[in-house]
Amino acid sequence: MAAADSSSAALRRRDLCSRGIRLAGKMRSDVIDLLDTYVERQGLDASASVAVVEGVPMAAVEHWDEQTGTQRLLENLAAYRAFRALLAQMLEEQQEQLGEADAALGQALAAVLLQVSAFAYHLEELLRLESRGPPSEEGAGPPPPSHLGLFERKLWGLGVLRELAQWAVRSARDLRQLTKPSPGSSLAPSPAESP
Amino acid sequence: MVGEAAELLQMANPVPSACCMVLAVVVVVYAQRHSQQESHIQYERVGADVTMKCGSMDWDAAVTWTANGTDIDESHLNGSYLILKKVDLTQSGQYSCYEGSSWHLKYQTYLRVGTPPREPVLMCRSNNYPKGFYCSWHLPTPTYIPNSFNISVIHGTREMVCEKDVFPKNRCHIRYLQLFSTVKYKVTLTVTNALGKNSTTVTFDEFAIVKPDPPESVVAKPVPNNPRRLEVSWQNPSSWPDPESFPLKFFLRYRPLILDQWQHVELSDGTSHTITDAYAGKEYIIQVAAKDNDIGTWSDWSVAVHATPWTEEPKHLTTEAQVTETTSASTSSFMPPPTTKICDKGAVVGSGAVAVCWTAGLVLAAYGVLFI
Repeated sequence: MAAADSSSAALRRRDLCSRGIRLAGKMRSDVIDLLDTYVERQGLDASASVAVVEGVPMAAVEHWDEQTGTQRLLENLAAYRAFRALLAQMLEEQQEQLGEADAALGQALAAVLLQVSAFAYHLEELLRLESRGPPSEEGAGPPPPSHLGLFERKLWGLGVLRELAQWAVRSARDLRQLTKPSPGSSLAPSPAESP
Repeated sequence: MVGEAAELLQMANPVPSACCMVLAVVVVVYAQRHSQQESHIQYERVGADVTMKCGSMDWDAAVTWTANGTDIDESHLNGSYLILKKVDLTQSGQYSCYEGSSWHLKYQTYLRVGTPPREPVLMCRSNNYPKGFYCSWHLPTPTYIPNSFNISVIHGTREMVCEKDVFPKNRCHIRYLQLFSTVKYKVTLTVTNALGKNSTTVTFDEFAIVKPDPPESVVAKPVPNNPRRLEVSWQNPSSWPDPESFPLKFFLRYRPLILDQWQHVELSDGTSHTITDAYAGKEYIIQVAAKDNDIGTWSDWSVAVHATPWTEEPKHLTTEAQVTETTSASTSSFMPPPTTKICDKGAVVGSGAVAVCWTAGLVLAAYGVLFI
């Protein structure tokens, strides 16, 4: 019975990882398209350099290959929960500023927001499979950058989308690591991790 | 007589040792002076006017200059100075100045004519993602004199070490410290020689420079009994460190040799493909390229392979067995098949073999008689 449960869990995990990888790929493709639309609609330069973006989870990581499976899932989940809040905020601001005048940008933002939510769900399911359960959400998300002017807010939005595009690539790689039969794919918690 | 000779030798003994000592000192001093002078190198630009002074000799001293051992005409001299107008590359060489009467070497230099470096060409690429990337460079035109290269790699506020390769010398590699960063890399290459310096900078994203090496071991084979198929297989480039976590996708192109237009197929997984629309009997040329599934650009095309789809063998020759079967089944008079030359002397070697040949012919004739 235990073996059957374990086998079933393994199949479910593999299935979630495969679907997650495909979703991450589609999400990245849509975010790239959204970036083009956003830059055009907001009158920005596509090559504009954006400094460290306040309140946005950075995809950049050191010693990526040494992370455990649990670390990967937890970091991904925290990031996508944050992006869910950030994109909701961007969507709200976009509708306030441009409203029906720019339905295309609003629709594109909403579509990506949906994919981000779906991906967060995938990650929560994967953590549940490990009898770990996802951590509870820490409230509504990062505070909005209210001190920024209009142009700075546009650049901030550009930074959010760029970072999301990086996360989509990283997430696909993370999920592939989970499907590998190696120490890196282990989902056993490391001693340093808090439950 | 012998005694007198011995006396002379005794008297002469002290002299050879003193002479040897003096000679040795002279040789050492001469060698030292020459080695110091030979190490002096003078770099000048192409087209420059060069004036060489003969060491500490006065302007009006009588001197002789040589270039690579050949006397230089006095028309190139201004007093004891050597004047070379608008030097070119052929004037590189060893220049020596000798005092007029004594032929003492007073000055020597090695003139190297060249140019300051032009802006170097620099490129960076990751063919082993996610391990790291390499940068390589070259000068668009030669300088004809030695150059030194210095490269700096900055990522955000961090300066990274680019380890120079032993071969090729114009390349260095960097290990990634971070992955999935949006911060750009800035690489600056400075080239310096005795006549000047120049530099160039490239800036790029981590993902933008990812370009695998071409696929390896491409093989194309016909498929038996399928005149329109070719089976193609290949391997991931050996430089790609982790195809499981960082899978590659592939692009295959093929065309018959007689046509210019390529057919293309993109393959998202697997390292094989069956072409099903090949022209029967035509030789094909096939190549494969690779790209990371998510980021970067396509590799160069692989080495081309050639293959021709399977064709049925033409039935233009009948065998002896077929003749026998035909004869045994026939009710008409025996007629040897025109292509069969049982007793063709050109095909048979040796008198013994000829005898066997005629025997076989008689047997066949007997069969023919029996079945008329």
